[in-house]
Amino acid sequence: MALPLFLRTIEGTPFSTWMRESESPFGFYFILLVHTVGLALLVGANAVIDLRLLGVAREIPLPPLKRLFGIMWLGFWINVTSGILLLFAYPTKSLTNPDFYIKLTCIGFAVWIMYRMKRRVFDDASLDDAAMMAKGATLAKWSLCLWAAAITAGRLLAYTYRYVTFP
Amino acid sequence: MNLAHLHLLLNHFPIIGTIVGLGLFLVSLVGKNADLRRASLIVLAVIALVAIPTFFSGVGAQGAIKNDPGVSEALIERHEGAAMLAFFFMEITGALALVELWKHYRISRPERRTWTFSAVLLFSIITTGLMARVGTTGGEVRHPEIRSGPATATTTTEGSLPSRIVYALEPSPPKFTQLMLDNKFWWAFMMDMHFIGLALLVGTIGVLDLRMLGFAKNLPVGPLHRLAPWALVGFGINLVTGVLAFIGMPTFYTYDMAFWLKMLAIMLLGLNVAAFYLTNTFETVEALGPGEDAPPLAKFIAATSLFLCFAVIAFGRYIQWFSDNVDSIAAH
Repeated sequence: MALPLFLRTIEGTPFSTWMRESESPFGFYFILLVHTVGLALLVGANAVIDLRLLGVAREIPLPPLKRLFGIMWLGFWINVTSGILLLFAYPTKSLTNPDFYIKLTCIGFAVWIMYRMKRRVFDDASLDDAAMMAKGATLAKWSLCLWAAAITAGRLLAYTYRYVTFP
Repeated sequence: MNLAHLHLLLNHFPIIGTIVGLGLFLVSLVGKNADLRRASLIVLAVIALVAIPTFFSGVGAQGAIKNDPGVSEALIERHEGAAMLAFFFMEITGALALVELWKHYRISRPERRTWTFSAVLLFSIITTGLMARVGTTGGEVRHPEIRSGPATATTTTEGSLPSRIVYALEPSPPKFTQLMLDNKFWWAFMMDMHFIGLALLVGTIGVLDLRMLGFAKNLPVGPLHRLAPWALVGFGINLVTGVLAFIGMPTFYTYDMAFWLKMLAIMLLGLNVAAFYLTNTFETVEALGPGEDAPPLAKFIAATSLFLCFAVIAFGRYIQWFSDNVDSIAAH
């Protein structure tokens, strides 16, 4: 199967080439660092909410944890941006790897779960902590599993690719 | 200063520290002194942390002397195997000490003894014995005057019976390294767990830090602190996967400055945690209810914690970049 030529076009742009080949510490590895910090903000904060909904540290009142969604969205947009830049550096490597699409699917579902959790559990002021836990426990389990799967699929990108650049 | 300096600087702490920790623990047992027991557990936990860079610096020390005449490769390998075994037991002892400290704090009935109490006692005794072997075998590498046998002595048929039994249980460093590299998906799994541990550790600590800095002030601090065991689970996952990765590629990490800066940041993070718990900051902050402001020192510690977490992630991320783009820190 012939690879689409736009992959080569992207790789040929000066910015893509610079990210791959520059020895500057602010090239590819810097974007990778930003992507990891975004992961920590998004998944770290979400894991805290998930664990609490599943009954860990029950003394923590649930409603104030709503503030963490702001941090999660911040992490999410940091990673959309840095993810697109990483994709720009190695389009062939990512887009020809089925694992990349698995990763995106996991993230899509995890973010959908995160959105539903906010709307159904945290935006409903009539719920007390017990009712929030009852409503959120299943979502929390899915959230933890999907984020673990997304991280796993992301890590596997480094070990399962077929091409590094356009052949 | 080179890596051999670092090894010599650090290597006495785990040996002396375990003896001091165990000694204090035994005295606290006899004297039924809860404060002393707490102190002994803190010593064991701190020593477990210091043992990490000590263990990692061994490969660099080996690199500095391995071409010298009179240095036996076999003796170094024996020391490395002994160190690996002692290091594993030291980390288990440190983890048990932290669990015991957590129980002290949670149960607030220090006279009560649970299984972790006996486990700390057992493991610190074993670790002390193993550390003695590490010291002896390490000394013999550079001090022919204390060697009991020929410099090539690595056979299992020499020495006393306990010594031979322990020797048989010690891992073989080259085989261990090979084991980590045999399957790339095992490596991928370790790296995966390292990132999941990262999210758990930084998420739980980060939320506590942010609250102390004034974010989501409606959260009471004491209950948030109940997440601390999950932070330790995250740290434990990353310690295990990190050490296994180091064993898999010892020279790659040893000669990489970003790796050592990461270790430095982790040690400073440990110091910051000590500043949090061993000053009265923790007691003050724990009592903070919804809407209450943390004192300046607590805010400073929280900000330092966030900054150091970022530094650990950043230096970790630049290990590969250093290896690709910067000359290694020692010719080898």
